[in-house]
Amino acid sequence: MEPDPIPGETLEQIERIGSTDLVIGVLRSDPEGEDDGAARLVREALGRLSGGARAVVIHNNGTAASASNVSSSPVEEERVRVLGCRLAGPELAGTPPQNLSDAYRAIFTAGGKLGARACGVIASDLRAVTPQWILRLVEPALEEGFDLVTPCYSGHKFEGLLNKSIVAPLNRSLYGARIQNPMGPDFGLSGKLLQQVFRQESRSPALQISPVPTITPTAIAAGMQVCEANVGVRLLPPMDPKDLSSLVAQVMGPVFLDMERNAAVWQRIRGSHPVPRFGDPASPPQETGTADLHRMLESFQIGVQNLRDVWSLALPPKTMLETVRLARLPPDQFRMPDELWVSIIYDFALAHRLRTISRDHLLRSMTPLYLGWVVSYAREVQTATPEAVESRLERLSRAFEAGKSYLMSRWRWPDRFNP
Amino acid sequence: MWGQVEQSLNQAMVRVLSQFASLLPGLAALVVALFVSILVAGLLTGILRRLLVRIQFDERMFRGGLSSLVEWSPSKSPTLLVTRVIWWILILIGFLIGLSAMDTSLTSKLVVGLFGYLPHVFAAVIVLVAGNIIARFLSRSVLIGAVNMNLQYARLLAAGVKWLVIVLTVAMALEHLGIGGFIIRLGFGILFGGIVLALALAVGLGSKELVTRSLEREASKTAARQSEESLSHF
Repeated sequence: MEPDPIPGETLEQIERIGSTDLVIGVLRSDPEGEDDGAARLVREALGRLSGGARAVVIHNNGTAASASNVSSSPVEEERVRVLGCRLAGPELAGTPPQNLSDAYRAIFTAGGKLGARACGVIASDLRAVTPQWILRLVEPALEEGFDLVTPCYSGHKFEGLLNKSIVAPLNRSLYGARIQNPMGPDFGLSGKLLQQVFRQESRSPALQISPVPTITPTAIAAGMQVCEANVGVRLLPPMDPKDLSSLVAQVMGPVFLDMERNAAVWQRIRGSHPVPRFGDPASPPQETGTADLHRMLESFQIGVQNLRDVWSLALPPKTMLETVRLARLPPDQFRMPDELWVSIIYDFALAHRLRTISRDHLLRSMTPLYLGWVVSYAREVQTATPEAVESRLERLSRAFEAGKSYLMSRWRWPDRFNP
Repeated sequence: MWGQVEQSLNQAMVRVLSQFASLLPGLAALVVALFVSILVAGLLTGILRRLLVRIQFDERMFRGGLSSLVEWSPSKSPTLLVTRVIWWILILIGFLIGLSAMDTSLTSKLVVGLFGYLPHVFAAVIVLVAGNIIARFLSRSVLIGAVNMNLQYARLLAAGVKWLVIVLTVAMALEHLGIGGFIIRLGFGILFGGIVLALALAVGLGSKELVTRSLEREASKTAARQSEESLSHF
């Protein structure tokens, strides 16, 4: 039997509370060391909501379960209950949401146990989170009848590249909804979706699939209402480029697993449609520093020189040939065509499904190819306006949609293209 | 005197011929047993091959992550490997049956010796297969890791790891088979000890400053990269 993801003391408190309208999970501790920072944010957000909803805030601040000790009126205290707990292992800067899987599970379980009408999960750095951020995530789920609210962050063109290059366009092509950040990491969920995710988790606990990439596909597959909310500007911690292959494996592994699980759903979906978006976008932050494109291109070329044997287990000969040809181009002419990138991703998804080689090896070996795409993209949009960047990304998403028939053919008849 | 010599020669010839004649039925039985075993082996392996082809055994082995077995198989076909192994086992059984028709004591000695040695052979085969799989896995891990660290000599590093594990595996298998014995152990002791000592000397004495400079350069490069990097991947 699976252990309960909620620590015992917190579980006892939840059972004592009984029920609530809203559960808000704050997955990261306050870097400024304020114990009541998260509670204050939620209180301010709830103050702007009509109807006086009751809320339980579960803060992953590493402390034992404790009731709120924030200086506030007893009525307010009753309305917003704060439970501090330790939901995940030591938190590291830049932890991808997959590492917080247990924390997400705990929040969803708490929401299910409390019978909440809506649930908000805040996984971003608390220094950037505002009351409006929380309000925009939970209000559509609590008052507008939406089941899933995904975030839209204002960022510059070189932010969230793994999401821009693979996760978002792949999700759009598979499930037909144009969502900027299908993997959050901040989310707003309705009680209905919460129960669905909760049921799914309890039905297949042995799979231990990270709940983060499954949320959006689960909502779409169940025909639920999905929307986006402009929340603001995220604070992104610096990342050691050496950890990139781990990040690629951590992000893409669950995405490919989920793709396998939902194969029957996405094979029926054609085309894509936009989803409603709430709130005005904040102005994007200034770009700082420079990207070392030369080093990235070198990574791609070293990959082509050394990983051909590994890639040839996943990629068909035509794609391999194009990749090798690309590596021989002079640096100033280096451009990776969208069609090539799309077929690489689809072929890797298939190889992941077929377990052609160890899944960890497969995912980590994607890193040089991904860096090749990053170089190509960075060169194209270096001086582009935000609108031009949008249209560039739209073109990539369309290429993913156009390549879906190729994915479906290979998914159904894997050997046909690999004699 | 010549009569006695002739008589002795005649007796010797009769003795040899009679002994040879007494072997003939056994030899005939050996030939028949071999012939029958070849027929049975051919028939059984033919059926087995068809069955394995029908269930796509080669593809299943490849997809099942046993690509190393595929590469070690004749014509890269595990089906061929399995059928050949079965074929030779059947021939060996036929040969033993034929031998027992010639001389039961010799056969029983052979069988006892063979069965006594079989566990060592199985252990050696298991060590070889496991070592091969581990070598390939480690080699691939090192290759991918080294490429992701932008190391130009990634392939060389991976090949080094692979052959180190394979050579170690072969030595262990030979140890199980009782071949080489002390020489193998001694050889490995000298080789590994030599490599470790050479590396220790190189790092500790000869390249101390070079290694220090290299580590410092790498550390400062990482710090500079972190501060300069304007890209965020997730």
